Order: sequence, then structure tokens, then C-alpha cells
Amino acid sequence: QAQVAFGGLKVDSSLPVEVTADSLSVSQSDGTAVFTGNVLVGQGEMRMTAGTIRVEYAQDGSNDIRKMVATGGVTFVNGQEAAEAREAIYTLESGQVVMTGDVILTQGPNAISGERLTVNLNDGTGQMDGRVKTILQTGNR
Amino acid sequence: MLRADNRYSRFVALAKIILPLAALGLLSTLVLFSRSVDHESAIPYAEVDVHELARGQGIGEPTYSTVMGDGSAITVRAATARPNLAKPSQATASGLSARLTAPDGTVVDMSAREGAIDTDTSTVDLRRDVTIVTSTGYTITTDALATRMDRTQVVSPGRIVADGPMGHLEAGRMELTDGSGMAAAGDNGGEAQGGYVLLFQGGVKLVYKPE
Repeated sequence: QAQVAFGGLKVDSSLPVEVTADSLSVSQSDGTAVFTGNVLVGQGEMRMTAGTIRVEYAQDGSNDIRKMVATGGVTFVNGQEAAEAREAIYTLESGQVVMTGDVILTQGPNAISGERLTVNLNDGTGQMDGRVKTILQTGNR
Repeated sequence: MLRADNRYSRFVALAKIILPLAALGLLSTLVLFSRSVDHESAIPYAEVDVHELARGQGIGEPTYSTVMGDGSAITVRAATARPNLAKPSQATASGLSARLTAPDGTVVDMSAREGAIDTDTSTVDLRRDVTIVTSTGYTITTDALATRMDRTQVVSPGRIVADGPMGHLEAGRMELTDGSGMAAAGDNGGEAQGGYVLLFQGGVKLVYKPE
């Protein structure tokens, strides 16, 4: 387990979210929306790309987007940090992103890999779990 | 006949002459001085061009409704419709609106200024200022739309702009189907999709503002 300072850049999760994709399918019965085809999510400085993103709504009928489930290879960029994983779940209210499956986090020259990365965008902290390996560049340049 | 000597009898005799004359005068004014009635403006004419009406037979306020295979019902209504004489199953219509009601109660209202109905191929084409309003809170505008009347399929081949619960959305193409034809896209795979599915394609851009 390793505490990671995940970029001073916090993301204000109340910023507008912009999603572009090849196609979007919205089921009118339960309102779930599925973006497919090089999906790109942008919010402030944060960018997330994925093969498919399924958007889930708050059940209280207020139609707020509660969370986004990204699958099919996810890359997550926020300022100088970038993280790659197989899947990611971004819960908008708490501003928390949980990435799972061969996670590789690069911070400038340093790189950390593990099984699970939990990032809280509101206070910019992150936690990597599961066989964490760190590659630190010794500053001999 | 004795001469009337007192004033009253003379007055009565005089009255017997003057009063009938006065009555005759009054009656004659009825006939002699009556205004000539202007027949031209008395009857209000409708301003519609009679030739236009006679040339093509039109139907006022036609309504066509049917229930489809999958249980949804569609009602097509127009302000006026004019059947195509060459092909009686076709009709062009103006002020067209169509309402699609799903078995689960979702309602999709489509309206346009102009359109055409073909009962052979059971399709309705809507053109010019097409708007689609769904009971799930989506308002979609496009410039052309084709709706089938034998199964739930609404296709807008051109660009659409949609505003809905998930924010403002633009896409290259849109299709509304009853979702049974295709499993829900994405990883949750073939979970049975009841109800309608709105499929936006050709590049989708959504802007969502969290409150």
C-alpha cells in the first residue's frame, strides 16, 4: 500500500462534465446511458478516456449523474499525472476515482504499478493497493 | 241624413275621414320607402380559393392510429392531408404530429410542419422543424425524421440536438427502437432491455452540469 500525492491539481467535481464518444445508447426504462467508441470524459483539467462508459443516475429521480463506470482500458490524466488501468469507477459526488486491473500511475519521471488505485479528486490524494511496485528515477541526470 | 249640429258628432265624422287616410299613408311608407337590400354584401363569403379546394381533394384533421407488433400504439394526426392521386396509399400532410405510446407507458410525441404518410410501407416522414418530446424528459430537435407504424422505430438521419435529464447533447444521427432488437451496448451485455432505447450515433457530444 502506498500513499500517493496525486497532483496538486484538484478537480472541482461540480464543474461541467463533457463526454464525447462515437455513440450513446440511453434506455428510456431505467435511464442508464452507455457511451461506446473511444469515449473521452473531460472535467476541468481531468481527462478520462475509455472504450465504454456506462453512466448511472441517482435513484431519487433528480437525474444527477451519480457515477460513471469506465471499461475497456481506461487512461486517466490529471495535470502531470496519468494513470492507466482496465476499469475505473468515478463517483461524482465524492469526487472519488477507483481504478482496478494492472494500474500504472506515472507522476512525471516516477511510476507506480499495482492492482487498485483510489484517488480522491477533491483533496488530490491517492492510494495504491495490491503488489505495489515503484520505479523511482534517481536524479543522476 | 240629419246634419250633425254638435261638436262631438262633427269631430267623429272628421275622424272617420282623417284616420283611415293616416293609416293608408303609414302603410304606403312600408312599401314605397323600403331600403333596397344590398344582396352582394349580405351573405358573408368564405375567402378560401374555391379552385384550390376543388383541384385536390383534401382531408381536414385526419387521424390514423394503429397498434404495433410489440404492443406500442401510434397515433398520427395532421392539420390537412392530401392523398397522392397516383398512389392512393400515400398522402402528403401539413401540421403533422405523431404520438407513440410504449407498453410501459413511455410516451414519445413527434411534431413537424410538413410530412408524408405511406400506409403501404407504413412509414411516416416528418420534415421542417421536427421536434420530439419524450415523457422521460428529452426534447430533441432535428430537421427530418422517419417513423415506422408497424414497429417501434424512429430514425433521424440528420444532426440532432437533444436536451434531457443528462444535459445538452448533440449527435450526428438518432434512432429510437424498442430495444429488444439489440442487447444494451457496453459490458453489461444482453441484460433484457425492456422499454425504448434512444441510440445516438455519428459522434456524440454531451455537456452535463452537476447541480
